[in-house]
Amino acid sequence: MKHYEVEILDAKTREKLCFLDKVEPQATIAEIKNLFTKTQGKSLKDEDVLQKLPVGTTATLYFRDLGAQISWVTVFLTEYAGPLFIYLLFYFRVPFIYGHKYDFTSSRHTVVHLACICHSFHYVKRLLETLFVHRFSHGTMPLRNIFKNCTYYWGFAAWMAYYINHPLYTPPTYGAQQIKLALAIFVICQLGNFSIHMALRDLRPAGSKTRKIPYPTKNPFTWLFLLVSCPNYTYEVGSWIGFAIMTQCLPVALFSLVGFTQMTIWAKGKHRSYLKEFRDYPPLRMPIIPFLL
Amino acid sequence: MAAAAATAATKGNGGGGGRAGVGEASGTRKKKGPGPVATAYLVIYNVVMTAGWLVIAVGLVRAYLAKGSYHSLYYSIEKPLKFFQTGALLEVRIVPSSVVLTSFQVMSRVFLIWAVTHSVKEVQSEDSVLLFVIAWTITEIIRYSFYTFSLLNHLPYIIKWARYTLFIVLYPMGVAGELLTVYAALPFVRQAGLYSISLPNKYNFSFDYYAFLILIMMSYIPIFPQLYFHMIHQRRKVLSRTEEYKKFE
Repeated sequence: MKHYEVEILDAKTREKLCFLDKVEPQATIAEIKNLFTKTQGKSLKDEDVLQKLPVGTTATLYFRDLGAQISWVTVFLTEYAGPLFIYLLFYFRVPFIYGHKYDFTSSRHTVVHLACICHSFHYVKRLLETLFVHRFSHGTMPLRNIFKNCTYYWGFAAWMAYYINHPLYTPPTYGAQQIKLALAIFVICQLGNFSIHMALRDLRPAGSKTRKIPYPTKNPFTWLFLLVSCPNYTYEVGSWIGFAIMTQCLPVALFSLVGFTQMTIWAKGKHRSYLKEFRDYPPLRMPIIPFLL
Repeated sequence: MAAAAATAATKGNGGGGGRAGVGEASGTRKKKGPGPVATAYLVIYNVVMTAGWLVIAVGLVRAYLAKGSYHSLYYSIEKPLKFFQTGALLEVRIVPSSVVLTSFQVMSRVFLIWAVTHSVKEVQSEDSVLLFVIAWTITEIIRYSFYTFSLLNHLPYIIKWARYTLFIVLYPMGVAGELLTVYAALPFVRQAGLYSISLPNKYNFSFDYYAFLILIMMSYIPIFPQLYFHMIHQRRKVLSRTEEYKKFE
């Protein structure tokens, strides 16, 4: 059977957009459009095999310059090390932040010391996870992201730390009760978040980029997978809410809100791609908040 | 044979095939205009806004003629100014310009009207207020008539020219008026502690409106040149394209 060669040009600029060289004579225009969009649409993955692409014997590959890139690991380490260090500057009341009579003094409120431990623990955990736990699908991201991300993390860390460690800080209204409850929420959510990260890591063998549906394991913290696609984000929001209640500090609440908004966007995207990729994806699951969001 | 078949196919399904192809394959190159109902709504909106700003312009002229001086004219147009500038919030999603730029400009205007001029009564008699009111009034009358005529596909060249040329003077004029007004408000904000909260308080939060206003003033330094040169760039694109089309006719 003789095959057709089909050349698709841009109607306005006459530019050659695509060359299909093995088109069946019985192919409809709809099918040709399909072949065209497949070759033009999504970017190809490193693992794609040339033979399996729908391009006949002449393959035209389109190169797209993504611009200056930086590795995910580098970005994560920088954006997490900042808050860890910056918070401590405020905690130790390094000169030129508060009045000179407060230099290197220590707060008399227990909750302020507790908050420092929690905040530092959180970022140390993130740094260790970046180094030893996470398995990244993409190696790199655009360079300007590091400036954007660091401004966000470092800026908010400084803003929160300024108030929590301020000489005029006011401890929570309901005292020890409020602090204990908030600490419990914080610790549970940190453990939960870590459990999810470990569970996700175990889904994917070292060096591979396969994607599978995550399911609950023996660890009770992972049972949240029954209800949400991204329980790591759920636990993360929970941690920050706990921290906000513990410190009763409005900037912390605002930081939690902004973080929640961003993570919801990510969770919805992840949820959508799970649904697209897996026909048998559990229908009960919501992206980030059980039953609601 | 193949070539003929292909061309026959495109000619046959000229409308259907072509449109579908563009939509799927190469994204939105040909943006479909708004439907008839949306167009009617947009035309009404733009006509109303043009009329509103004309009311403000007329109000200014009449007050000037009545008073004999150009001082303290703000009071004569305070209400329509607040109404129509705040009403512009509606247009962030619907005008053809970029959402980011439009919302930024509208937010900064609304901020200036409510959070500065309205809130700090002492600046209302300042001449700087008149400066930005005049700049905004002329700009908006031209801009809204531009949109109106564009929607009706009958855009007189003079309107297009005015929109993309007068800003060269009006934009810096408006910015000068805005900055001078904020600057004039500063001492009163400091004195009254307006919109400010200080430590200690039970939410462990503080906000200094005075410092915030200074920050706003400083933000004009990076932002204003960018917007200004963006408009200059747009001007070159839009006005030179018209010249080309004229040549072909």
